[in-house]
Amino acid sequence: MDTSTLQIILKILHYIFFAYAFFAITSYIVLSVISGKETLEYLKKNSFVNYKDILSSTMSPSITIIAPAYNESLNVVENVRSLLSNHYVNYKVIIINDGSTDDSLEKLIATYDLEAIDFIINNKIKTKPLRTGVFKSKNPAFEKLMVVDKENGGKADALNMGLNISKTKYVACIDVDCLLLEDALQKMIKPFLEVTNAKVIAAGGVIRIANSCIIRGGKLIDVNLPKNLLVQAQILEYLRAFLLGRMAWSRLNGLLVISGAFGILDKETAIAVGGYDTETVGEDMEIIVRMRRYMEEKGEKYRVSYIPDPLCWTEAPDTYKIFISQRNRWTRGTIETLNKHRKIGFNRNYGTFGLLSYPYWLIFERLAPLIEAVGLVYFIILVALREVKWEYALSFLILAYMFSVLFSIVAIYSEELTFHQYKKKGTGFKLILLSALEPFILHPFILYAAVKGNYDYYFNRKKKWGSMVRKGLTTT
Amino acid sequence: MIINNGILEYIEKFPFLVQLAYILSCVLFTAIIVLTIYLKIIRSSLRKKHEIRVKLKADYEALLIEYLYSGDETNEISEIQELIINKLKKVIHSKFNRKIIISIIYNLMNEVSGEMSDSIKTLYFKTGLYNYAQNRLKNKNWYIIAKGIGELTRFKIGEAHDDVAKFITHQRSEVRKETQLYLVNLFRFNGLTFLNDLKTPLSEWAQVQLLETLQKFDDQQICDIKPWLKSSNNTVVLFALKLAQIYNQFEVKDTLIELLSHNEKTIRLQVIEVLTHLYGIEAKEMLKANFNNLSLEEQISFFGLLEKLVVPSDEPFVEKHLFHKNFEIQLLALKILKSINLDKFMGLNKKVSKKSNPEIFKFVKNI
Repeated sequence: MDTSTLQIILKILHYIFFAYAFFAITSYIVLSVISGKETLEYLKKNSFVNYKDILSSTMSPSITIIAPAYNESLNVVENVRSLLSNHYVNYKVIIINDGSTDDSLEKLIATYDLEAIDFIINNKIKTKPLRTGVFKSKNPAFEKLMVVDKENGGKADALNMGLNISKTKYVACIDVDCLLLEDALQKMIKPFLEVTNAKVIAAGGVIRIANSCIIRGGKLIDVNLPKNLLVQAQILEYLRAFLLGRMAWSRLNGLLVISGAFGILDKETAIAVGGYDTETVGEDMEIIVRMRRYMEEKGEKYRVSYIPDPLCWTEAPDTYKIFISQRNRWTRGTIETLNKHRKIGFNRNYGTFGLLSYPYWLIFERLAPLIEAVGLVYFIILVALREVKWEYALSFLILAYMFSVLFSIVAIYSEELTFHQYKKKGTGFKLILLSALEPFILHPFILYAAVKGNYDYYFNRKKKWGSMVRKGLTTT
Repeated sequence: MIINNGILEYIEKFPFLVQLAYILSCVLFTAIIVLTIYLKIIRSSLRKKHEIRVKLKADYEALLIEYLYSGDETNEISEIQELIINKLKKVIHSKFNRKIIISIIYNLMNEVSGEMSDSIKTLYFKTGLYNYAQNRLKNKNWYIIAKGIGELTRFKIGEAHDDVAKFITHQRSEVRKETQLYLVNLFRFNGLTFLNDLKTPLSEWAQVQLLETLQKFDDQQICDIKPWLKSSNNTVVLFALKLAQIYNQFEVKDTLIELLSHNEKTIRLQVIEVLTHLYGIEAKEMLKANFNNLSLEEQISFFGLLEKLVVPSDEPFVEKHLFHKNFEIQLLALKILKSINLDKFMGLNKKVSKKSNPEIFKFVKNI
């Protein structure tokens, strides 16, 4: 290969990287503008809504909260108390003890005065069998609670058991360690009841990070910014993703994922598609994609809705090891889902879903870390070959950094003007400072985890969930 | 100046793209600085506003309670009350103050009744708050109109009927819903006349709110719901079916039976549910005869009706479906058989293990 050919190849590569960065940044800007519009519309719509009637009405639809628990002995009693303290009238709570090897079940039996009951399960979705059975409380104060003890089959299998058992039209699938605010259910059920020109098949909400927040009696008392920099950076990342990203996809009816931490599904559709996939580590994304695909193939109008209110608070990883393991799993989940449903991609039979959502996820979520990693390697090679045009490299690096900081600040801004959760003095400054630091303390690890996730997906198929050590939320 | 010129000269030597990147970086950097300062201002202002709100809330609360307890027996406005009204008049031109006062008055309104409630309404008019709400109805933004209607609903201002009622056909569903709630909150069942001509869908969310509002009233004398059951708007029919169920409308049974052949499945399902509630024994034979033509959901729903209205003569029909392939129907059929003929049910033991799910039989046997 002569020098001119090499030069042409290098030039083409430069244009590819440049075009990719340009389109990625443009998409972020477009999505954040749409998000802003959608959030504003949502706030206007809800500025005069009286939720009290829905809250107390026995005519409001009943919802079953399904919460799988595996070795959650440390917090399970308190978490169940939190789930039982919701203000909505028509709801049930099913805790699926997914073959825990600790004393979770014993603790639940003792605290909630549970007894085994005769129960027959309509196995619409195949799951692992019951272990010791189904339990209900003898105490009428806990009549909403049901505990199901089954053999271990993983989170998806436990959720499927919940889908089989629940008798309600809607199911709220949540992580047992999440803290739901008291008004979470009535806000999340609203889109299902409000939309008349399409069937709402699922609704998701913003997930907030609860590390260092004060929780009392299952209720969120005080919101604090944690001291741990990694957790702080994740707070910023969540603000960006939820406030500047997902709201836009909701507006475009292109949401592909509803966080497994808290989402409500239309049970009929969830069962019609066969429930959660037990073979993937990204079951929350996969079921939404499958439900959407099912509705598209049926030719029925549908929506996947999204609520920007901070309704669900969860514990984020506070060590890099756990964080990388979590992101590795998310990456593998995304790859598995996109591969499984590749038929949808660029297929006009699937409308916006096939022509916009899927391609976006493929190009800017699935491929982004790979392109970034390749870009880095390429840059190192150029440095070694002394082929770097430093004036270009430096100017674009500064531009990218400035954009990243500004984008984070816009997310903080959006938060302040809407939900204003971090009220304490000094927090604003810390968040701004964090915007400048986040590209160094979080992004490289996200990139590493994503690349590792790709490697594990192709070369280490045995790897499943990975560990997520919970320390428990701050209770007083 | 010399330094600036030096930088500019240095940058001018770069290719166009690099120059553009630096210019954009400068713009972004400026935006970061401006937004950071503005964020600081916003956060401080939000904190300050919160402190002022707390203080004003306490002040106005005290003032309004004093107003309530300063009334005399003549139902006329007392001197102290007049003074308080004048005081409030001076502050309500600020949106911030008005918001606080309205929220306090609304909370007070929920806690008092009779003369005190009338007294609050007088205050609402005399301070001019009513005029502000009316002005909202003239606003071009739909959400301001909706807020205005919501406020008039909360304070039960019947005088605004003509101004509000015209929004019943507004293009935004939110405004229509607030208007519907206004009419029902103030005129109870008479307020439901909008259903006669409703062309747009009545969302489930609106239905629940309307039903909840109606249930708050002591007077539960319901109007004729037959025209709504026959409406061409399916959501109106569904709403009327809910009314029939809640208010035990036995007199509309014939119309309900006619609705069993409605072309919308959700309506047919709801009708079966209402008939189950109303002991619609007349519908049972009809559904039984037509059972094989029903959808699976309707068949399950019918078995729900049968469970409640079963008589011994239904046994042959139930027996036919003991081994139905659907779980729910099989479970219900076994339960029904057990309730009408225990001996026959117990005798099923061997047949069950061969033909169907023995777990269901075991479960029904134990309950």
